[in-house]
Amino acid sequence: MLTIALDAVTTAALLFIISSGLLIVFGVMKIINFAHAAFVTVGAYAALVGTRLGLPWALVLPLAFATGAACGALTEATIVRRLYQRPLDAILATWGLGTVIGQLVTLIFGREVQFVQAPITGTIDLFGLDYSAYRIAMIAAAVIVAVAFTGLLSGTRLGLSTRAVIMNEMLAQGLGVDSSRVRLVTFALGSGLAALAGALITPLSSVDPNMGLPWLISAFMLVMVSGGSLPTLAVSCIVLGGLQVIVSTFVNPILGGLTIAICAAIVLRIRPEGFARA
Amino acid sequence: MPEANQLSPAVPTAIGASATLRAMALVALVVGAVMLAPLMLDTYMLNILVRAFFVAIAAITVDIMWGYCGTLTFGQSAFFGIGVYALAITFTEYGFGPWQAVLAIAAAIIAAAAVAGLTGWLSFYPGSTPLYASIVSLVVPIVLVQILYSGGTFTGSSSGLVGFETFDLEFDNWFRLAGLALVATAVVALIMMRSDTGRLLKALRDNDERCTYLGINTSRYRIVVLVLTAIVASLAGFGYAAFGGVAAPENASFTFGTRLIIMVALGGRGTVIGAIVGALSIEVASAYLSGSLPYVWELIIGIALITVILAFPDGLLGVFKRIAYGGRPLENGATVQLRPMATATGTKAESGVAIEARELGKHFGSLSVLDGVQFKANRGELLSLVGPNGAGKTTLIRCLSDGRERSSGFVAIAGHPIDHLPPSRIVRFGLGRKFQAASVFETLTVAECLRVARTHRARPALASTSPVLELPAAAISVVERSGLADRRGEEARNLSHGLKQALELAMVLALEPEVLLLDEPTAGLTRAERQAFADILTSLASGDRLCILLVEHDLDFVRDISSRIIVLHQGRIALDGSVDEVVDSELVREIYTGQQSSSLRSAS
Amino acid sequence: MISRAFLTSLALIAATGSALAADPIRIGVPVGLSGANSVVAPSVVQSAELAVEEINAKGGVLGRPLALDVADDGSGAAGAQKAFDALVFQKKVNVLISMETSAARNAGLPIVARGKTPFIYTSFYEGKSCSPYLYVNAWVPEQQVPPIVDYFNKEKKAKSYFLIGSDYAFGRGMLAFTKSYIEKTGGKVVGEEYLPMDGSDWTPIISKLKASGADAIITSTAGGAPNVTLTKQLRAAGVSLPYGNLAVDEGTAKSMGTDAAGIYISASYVTGIDSTANKTFLAAMSKKFGADLKTPNDLSVPEYEAVYAYKAAVEKAGGTDPQKVLAALADVSVDGPRGSIRMDKQRHAPLTMYLGQVQADGSVKVIQSFPNVDPGAQCPPKS
Repeated sequence: MLTIALDAVTTAALLFIISSGLLIVFGVMKIINFAHAAFVTVGAYAALVGTRLGLPWALVLPLAFATGAACGALTEATIVRRLYQRPLDAILATWGLGTVIGQLVTLIFGREVQFVQAPITGTIDLFGLDYSAYRIAMIAAAVIVAVAFTGLLSGTRLGLSTRAVIMNEMLAQGLGVDSSRVRLVTFALGSGLAALAGALITPLSSVDPNMGLPWLISAFMLVMVSGGSLPTLAVSCIVLGGLQVIVSTFVNPILGGLTIAICAAIVLRIRPEGFARA
Repeated sequence: MPEANQLSPAVPTAIGASATLRAMALVALVVGAVMLAPLMLDTYMLNILVRAFFVAIAAITVDIMWGYCGTLTFGQSAFFGIGVYALAITFTEYGFGPWQAVLAIAAAIIAAAAVAGLTGWLSFYPGSTPLYASIVSLVVPIVLVQILYSGGTFTGSSSGLVGFETFDLEFDNWFRLAGLALVATAVVALIMMRSDTGRLLKALRDNDERCTYLGINTSRYRIVVLVLTAIVASLAGFGYAAFGGVAAPENASFTFGTRLIIMVALGGRGTVIGAIVGALSIEVASAYLSGSLPYVWELIIGIALITVILAFPDGLLGVFKRIAYGGRPLENGATVQLRPMATATGTKAESGVAIEARELGKHFGSLSVLDGVQFKANRGELLSLVGPNGAGKTTLIRCLSDGRERSSGFVAIAGHPIDHLPPSRIVRFGLGRKFQAASVFETLTVAECLRVARTHRARPALASTSPVLELPAAAISVVERSGLADRRGEEARNLSHGLKQALELAMVLALEPEVLLLDEPTAGLTRAERQAFADILTSLASGDRLCILLVEHDLDFVRDISSRIIVLHQGRIALDGSVDEVVDSELVREIYTGQQSSSLRSAS
Repeated sequence: MISRAFLTSLALIAATGSALAADPIRIGVPVGLSGANSVVAPSVVQSAELAVEEINAKGGVLGRPLALDVADDGSGAAGAQKAFDALVFQKKVNVLISMETSAARNAGLPIVARGKTPFIYTSFYEGKSCSPYLYVNAWVPEQQVPPIVDYFNKEKKAKSYFLIGSDYAFGRGMLAFTKSYIEKTGGKVVGEEYLPMDGSDWTPIISKLKASGADAIITSTAGGAPNVTLTKQLRAAGVSLPYGNLAVDEGTAKSMGTDAAGIYISASYVTGIDSTANKTFLAAMSKKFGADLKTPNDLSVPEYEAVYAYKAAVEKAGGTDPQKVLAALADVSVDGPRGSIRMDKQRHAPLTMYLGQVQADGSVKVIQSFPNVDPGAQCPPKS
């Protein structure tokens, strides 16, 4: 029982870390960034380069974030900005960008699976149960991301503008909010978070040009079902991530892998606002 | 017999006939080329093209879903895959033979239709977003591929199925068969997409909400189109597997689904021909290039996709057309004759309660936007709804026209309780709603917009465009008075703001409504246009006995035309009375001196 | 730094272009230059290049030079159809010799049959792929699994096993055989779990494994990423049971670092085989490719040997006539780095298998060898 609870919470934490960047972009721009998986991959490779250079993890993580944010800002300025009036085209263009990034990573680093040494290894003893220390650390990481994020949105001027744009863009513009700047910063932030997530999962995962893709669908569905709010995303991750662990444990992991996508689609069909309050 | 309303010189039908002749000659030419090509091409090229032909058929279905209906779908590959596996599994399990072939085709059609129906039910419902439908379409192939992987020897898992006996044709004949199938699919698709039904699909793409408020069950149309395209894609997959003798999970994969979208985007969406151009060029190019440039090929495709979307949204075909036709807009519908209807479709009561609202409330959490709103309005009344910004006027209109909007209370339109019905159903009770910002179908011509508005009374033709459009007298009169009649072949996006407003009004009137809800119809209009509007509204109320509920800021306008005024203040009805009672009341003075002083000043 | 695979493929285009001497015998190599197999594919191509160079240097086959045509199959069915079409119908190759995914091989079979072209498949696989045009010179489950299970039964006193795989034909096929073999030898399978091929979170499976009380684990994942994520997460969860991995090769084990230490593998080729043939082969490879050498492995060496097998078959048949060559392929034997190999068992080959253990420095130490393990009944004649 305890194992399942720990599996569920750590899985939810991982899902939260991966989807939060997607969520902020969706919240502000109402588009789904299909290049999200590619930014996750970029972050992982940034971590790879960082650790190869012998940087400590305290520097590797900011490096990954900065790399992702720079890619994101560039993407917004060159591609996404021109497509706000065509949200479905924005999806396609970011998908194309994802392919391009994946191929560039392949050309630069090769297709081989690469390895990053984990900063925290081994297991810790929790209530008489040996459990992977790194997964436990991910819970803390998810909390830090959530707190930092909330602080940014509620405590800064930029956060205020961002929330204004999320609520009513026309009105915000009328009130003098520079919504194009908000979008640029948001997209950079979202991509940075994706890259940070990529760096954080490397010790559990492999580093290869397609590593981000398996996470993408779950992240999409979680963001859709959470309707663009951070607390709801946390709830969605815990509910659907928990369900995934339960199905994986008691039925089989293959069905478990589809749990989030299928449940989220059904939830949205029955209750279009998802887990958000009406 | 009503006279045909000849608003422009009769157009010689010879033009239409010669266009048809030209199209038929072109088709004959293409068919001839398909029949003769195998004599000139080598086996390798034949092989590539046969597969490309089947893929192109699938690409056409993507174009119809995306280019025409506006649903970006990653899921057509799943239906293609269903066709592939229907054949492979049947022939592997039962061997090859005539009844097995029939069984396989039946399985391909039924399974695709069932999966598409389920997908459609999940994707399209009143209030679903295109983004959501897109994401669901992404999930379908992923789930299907997972099932194929888990299927053991039945589906062949990741290795797929191979070694089953299949149709034994010569390469040349496969080429002819696949080529003719592609030409037939393209011709049928083009005819249907250019028919009145095709215009309706474009209307769904342009403005789903407007369609809903024209009484069109958009979800049902989308589901039907999805099921039909799924069947076609499945049959394409069937042909693909019959030729190749292999079934593999990647035939159903989301990667292939994305590849189909890229083909359509590159070729030119919403044209059918673009899908074919895109599919054939990518398939042939990849056969020659991807083998020698494995990594760079994917890179090129990615860059090409981004470039096309940013710089040439209408694809290669669009670029070609711009060069060939020099950007001259193609006019459709200029030849359509507008004709007043012989008789009104419904028998109309001249009087009676048209709108009834009891204890109507709308809450967002603890915030109350509307509270205890209660009123009745009769046929022939022109009732104005006034109040300051944020009083809840637009919310009230929404609650009257969409059963799912209100939090509490009762609403009946023309005597029918609206329960929790979607707008498309309420419209059939006799409701017409005109939006604040002119809501029309931007890429449709004026005549086409009007025809879409008649969908629920006159089912649009499936394979042709009707040369005549019958409209109720009220709609005809708006069209004529506004000058829209002379511009009925022009796309709505080229109209002025005032004309768009008039067009939307005419579309709503084409519904033959008993109740008309108008949200600030005169905002942004010139003085002359506004006066014309006032005349039309008063004649609709008094002459046609419509019940009109008008949201308006401009007290002058309201005073001139209303028979009664309701003042909404902080979500409640503050006043409900005759024009004089309301306009001269203390409350209105109070509300308006604070917030709408300009109107009041000009009124006094 | 640009991927070497890319440069290699460019170099190949140049090489094949210039090798057009008088009436060469053309060998088609459809291989996964992109997609799942793209990591191992360059080593396969290098093997083929060395074999062709050596044979041509000694006067070719029946006086005709060999020429290679490499095509990318994208590691999947759709790419394979294009690659096989191009090789069989456009390049009109005389034979196909290649290591591919099962999906790609299957997609190629109907095309090979239409083009009546012999096809030597050089990748280990889940077994039982049968076509009159197909020969296989690599291992199948019947050859690979017994060394590990026998060793765990005897040396580790393992009674209960937990099996973990990726959900695809190879993963399921290998573990299905493993399960039946364990049960046949008196052991018990206490768990058999699969994750989708692209899955990367093995947590629930590892939790089940820890709860099962198994004595040993045998895994058969997709190569590359799933193998790595599973091993990392097993180690992170503190699992230290005897661990047999049916899908890891020497190269991957080396790059996995300390996480891979202790893993047992079973293969028909490891670089440490102590024979003159192997040493000569390795020396020739490093001489030809120098710094660009991709470490030869269990997937690339069979490719090298298969080129020699085809040479022998053509010489025995007295020409490239497909039917005669196909008949001859079952009779000829090749002495290569893996020893003497003849594809005479229902178009499959008995092989010497090596049980190895990955060391802390990433090298593979051979623990035991099992000569001439029979492939069993892969393609029994239809009765």
